[in-house]
Amino acid sequence: MKSIINIILIALLFSSCTKVVDLDLGDNNSKIVIDGKITNEQGPYFVKITKSVSFTETNDYPSVSNAKVIIEDNVGQKDTLTYTSNGNYKTTSIQGVEGRTYTLHVEVDGNTYHASSTMPTKVNLDTLELTKLEFAGQTRFTVIPKFTDPLSFGNNYRYIIYKNGEKDNGYYMYNDNTNNGKVNEVPIQSQQLELESGNVVTVEMNCIDQISYNYYFTLSQMAFSGPGGGTTPSNPPNNISGSALGLFSAHSTQSKTITIP
Amino acid sequence: MNKINFLVLLFSLVSIGLFAQQKHTISGSIKDKATGESLMAATLSVLEKPGLGVKANEYGFYSLSLPEGKYTFRVTYIGYKEEKKEIELTNNITVNWSLESKGALKEVKITTKKKDDNLTRATMGTETLNMKEIAKLPVIFGEKDVLKTIQLLPGVKSAGEGNSGFSVRGGATDQNLIILDEAPVYNASHLLGFFSTFNSDAIKDATIIKGNSPAQYGGRLSSVLDVKMKDGNNKDYNVSGGIGLISSRLTVEGPIQKEKSSFIISGRRTYADAFLKLTKDYKDTKLYFYDLNAKANYSINKNNKIFASGYFGKDILGLGTGFGIDWGNTTGTLRWNHIVNSKLFSNTSFIYSNYDFNIGIENGATNVNINSKIRDFNLKQDFSYYANPKNSLRFGFNAIHHTITPSTTTGTVTNSSSKKGRESLENAIYATNEYKPNDKLTIDYGLRLSAYSLLGGDTYKLYDKGILKDSVVLENGALGKTYYNLEPRITTNYRINEVSSFKAGYARNTQHLHLLSNSSGGSPSDQWIGNSYNIKPEIADQLSIGYSRNFNKDNYEFGVESYYKNMQNQVDYKDGADINNAPDVESELLFGKGRAYGIEFLVKKKTGKLTGWVGYTLSKTERQVDGINNGEWYNAKQDRTHDLSIVGVYQFTKKWSFSGLFIYNTGNAVTFPTGKYDMDGTTVYQYANRNANRMPVNHRLDLSANYESSRKGRFQSSWNIGLYNVYGRQNAYSIAFEDNPDDKTRTQAVQTSLFKWVPSITYNFKF
Repeated sequence: MKSIINIILIALLFSSCTKVVDLDLGDNNSKIVIDGKITNEQGPYFVKITKSVSFTETNDYPSVSNAKVIIEDNVGQKDTLTYTSNGNYKTTSIQGVEGRTYTLHVEVDGNTYHASSTMPTKVNLDTLELTKLEFAGQTRFTVIPKFTDPLSFGNNYRYIIYKNGEKDNGYYMYNDNTNNGKVNEVPIQSQQLELESGNVVTVEMNCIDQISYNYYFTLSQMAFSGPGGGTTPSNPPNNISGSALGLFSAHSTQSKTITIP
Repeated sequence: MNKINFLVLLFSLVSIGLFAQQKHTISGSIKDKATGESLMAATLSVLEKPGLGVKANEYGFYSLSLPEGKYTFRVTYIGYKEEKKEIELTNNITVNWSLESKGALKEVKITTKKKDDNLTRATMGTETLNMKEIAKLPVIFGEKDVLKTIQLLPGVKSAGEGNSGFSVRGGATDQNLIILDEAPVYNASHLLGFFSTFNSDAIKDATIIKGNSPAQYGGRLSSVLDVKMKDGNNKDYNVSGGIGLISSRLTVEGPIQKEKSSFIISGRRTYADAFLKLTKDYKDTKLYFYDLNAKANYSINKNNKIFASGYFGKDILGLGTGFGIDWGNTTGTLRWNHIVNSKLFSNTSFIYSNYDFNIGIENGATNVNINSKIRDFNLKQDFSYYANPKNSLRFGFNAIHHTITPSTTTGTVTNSSSKKGRESLENAIYATNEYKPNDKLTIDYGLRLSAYSLLGGDTYKLYDKGILKDSVVLENGALGKTYYNLEPRITTNYRINEVSSFKAGYARNTQHLHLLSNSSGGSPSDQWIGNSYNIKPEIADQLSIGYSRNFNKDNYEFGVESYYKNMQNQVDYKDGADINNAPDVESELLFGKGRAYGIEFLVKKKTGKLTGWVGYTLSKTERQVDGINNGEWYNAKQDRTHDLSIVGVYQFTKKWSFSGLFIYNTGNAVTFPTGKYDMDGTTVYQYANRNANRMPVNHRLDLSANYESSRKGRFQSSWNIGLYNVYGRQNAYSIAFEDNPDDKTRTQAVQTSLFKWVPSITYNFKF
């Protein structure tokens, strides 16, 4: 909400100007980055292991190809992943099931990293609804993912939204803190994609665990910096021990597509 | 020194004076001859007894006891002609003084006080700004603003460009007690901080005390900003107003009982939205604020006077019919001044203060409302007892009932919220004495005992770094935990010689209300929260020393002050805290400590054609919180190493004056990314130490010109033309890190600046 106020005010009142600046950001301590997922859909699943680079370098992230990667669950399945390419490791047999807890073990150059995540039960995404906004002579749409939040408290959601196949890189998070057990009416406020008539919009809804929510919520809070700067940024809290960056997330997922009339 | 010893010392020092020889008392009031406004801090001195004198209190009341005899009394107040009277003191008498303004000179004064006042008073880190001196300084949009001017003083730092939020001696923006006629103002800004809630036409003066406040003030760690509304002219009716780019103002004042009582009503409204209505695209957009100040006083008889004052202000922001936000403060103060006898002055105040914030979203059949609120009922009793020329006492109590409702969401699609309003009592008793053992030494010492009690009606949960450990259910009517704090305060002034003095002080302050804000600029949606079982009172201990010297017959004033401040129980947030929607915001909080130290220099030129000041601060402020930055000390965001302001007003002719100000300061401490990585095709930034980076240096020059036309009968008008940011410096407002849109293999840092040049023109009139 704060961001909306800020955008309006800045747009209406001030002709602000922007420029690209050079800053001395100090040295970066390159760290192992683990991006692992396991879902309720059919495998294989991938764990990507790379290294972080300094801000001023190009976006070429060194792949880690010599890691030993294992995923196991709480009912005795265990899978040693095989390396494919670009830092990706692929599962061979394990199958993601809602309600199970998955543990990831990674060993790189003598350092070990562990993470575990419990896949929440899938909440059915019933349909996508559109709302029309008219502001400043333009017509825009927002999408409301319609689903019924379960009565039990503590459900966390992440939406990934695509317009004509183009992915929105923003973090759109929702939880049942204020609307527990209700049908969702809160639209996704995309800050990157302007949805207009004729667009094909896909929403992927992930039911995620609390730590994954915290991870993405932290990123979403840092995305906008309003007057005087927004939330003080930090590396988001994650579930990986051994001071690696990234996240290992077991989540259920479902997608729906709508064409804006 | 332990507390018992301190109390014994306090009362023994007082009693030394109480049993001295038989004396008589001269008392009364000191006022402006033309308007009847009381002249706070005007000085009554006795020519036969150099070094002996007394200052009028905030209601213009003074009292001085002397042995029987014949004396020549002199009353002085800068900008006014002095008054002298020879009086034979044979019994207690009342003498009321009316001083005549020196006219043009009054308009350019930089301080309202006696010329060498800085050398005689045991006040540390205290500055008073008169609205007339502010009037000529250049300001953004031509909207003169006491909070913006306060930020030009050493030790006071702006929360951001164009922002009315401020930080004092390394404290946070919520650690300033901002009071308007004694009523706390919980959000002193309009339009996200670009304007303050103080309509300068309704304000008499504003005093800031940077941490070493006397014991009658309490409740915030860093400073007290005491803003006083005008009483209104009790001799004649006056209408004054102004038309500016952003807002218009109108003030009406006049007598109720001639020469005895008066009223003032002042209003201000912005009208940017009037222009929006003319545009096709933004015609449904609402964006404005307004203020209304009103005050009246009534003399019942010579010993009793009643004051009623109120403030009402609101910001409205709306888009079409589906979305609206509003927020505002309401304050009301009812005061009774009672002269009990010639030595004892009493003031009783009943104060109401309210701040609320609302968002309404309507979309077809569904609607959502989010609101938060803080409301106070406050009773204050204050006595001034002028025991003898060596001792002036103040003592009293203060009881506040707070109701704080955190951000709650209601509407068709939400559950009724489980969050409830919390009630609490904040009580304090205090006593303070100004002791002058001889004409070189002044000691102000006092003690304040504060007590904050949780009242029943809610469940309080206990957390350890965000993990729920226990909970306490407080039934309606039950009394929960009470936090007691003893706050000793002492300041001393030693006058080394005619032109210089040395000062030292110590003060402990506590704070029971805390503002939850995760943006440094401040937002109207920021919420206050009281102490609880997790949140303990914030405590600050500040030690300061200073030296003042006047040059050139008191025309130049030089002051240096240095401070060290230690802070306990500081509130911060865990990484990724959700302070708006978390079921219990206390689970998102972390607690730590802070330290701040610095040195402040101020050189003022107080008289002549050119007046103004140069202020410079060298300072450091840090925090240490378990769970942030691996538990290591880090810079607080308001930490700025260097801060320089230069302010000047040049009275060219009687009609024309020019003014300018220049600021230069180190950028705020911020956290920039050091690295980056990829998560599922999106760039994520890697951070190292908290607040280890700096925003770019800020500097800016503003100029303005004032023209006062000749008086035509009762009518007088003036023009103010200003240019903000004369050389078009692009000061960084924010810096964002993003993928380079032209080269996807790169990332870049993009700086946003708000104001390049901002011209302004304001027309003021008075009749």
